[in-house]
Amino acid sequence: MSDDRPLQPDDVLGGSAIRRRTLMLGAAGAAAVVSIRPALAQTNASMLTCEIPVPDSKRAGQYIATDGTVVAPGTQGAFPPAGRAFKGDEVKHALGGGMLPGTTYEQNQAYVSYIRKLQSGTSGFTCFASLQMPRG
Amino acid sequence: MARPESLRIVHLDSFTLLYHRESGITHLLTAPAPEILAALGEAGLNRTALAAKLAAHYDLADFDEAALAERLDELVAAGLVSAA
Repeated sequence: MSDDRPLQPDDVLGGSAIRRRTLMLGAAGAAAVVSIRPALAQTNASMLTCEIPVPDSKRAGQYIATDGTVVAPGTQGAFPPAGRAFKGDEVKHALGGGMLPGTTYEQNQAYVSYIRKLQSGTSGFTCFASLQMPRG
Repeated sequence: MARPESLRIVHLDSFTLLYHRESGITHLLTAPAPEILAALGEAGLNRTALAAKLAAHYDLADFDEAALAERLDELVAAGLVSAA
């Protein structure tokens, strides 16, 4: 899983013998880099100010179903988009069983399910992933 | 990109942890950042050559010069790539 050598093109480019894969460059707002500075990593506050929009900017305006999937606006039983992006510390609190600010119980459940399903390349993914990382 | 010997890379499923020894900063990367770093290599490329190299190795499903520029800007801001 880990190695201690320089990143080589074939590590990720795959070399000529390996299949081509699709690479998404992503959209504005879907940051692909989050940096953790040593001083902040020790204070446990490093990622608490990053943001997770619900849903991501590419799907702005769509609703969130109770299982966290993104559905068409107005879908019965689904919830409208969050009025603002949630901060990392708010999401961390919600992942631990708390409530996202300004949400009802069921709306919170839907939004948290959406956040848990975030994929690479989606706005908020790096923020969500960073919240999962243990800190010393 | 930063000198390869100054980096420690750990691949973790869909993201890559990259520790830059000189700054002591850990970077959490998701696609396409690791791919861009690898394509740039130590010598670096201009934006046109980078786009061509990526296109030679990947199906770029949503290629857009502005998006590539934004990804490069993120890497520059993180200190992992220097602009010529």
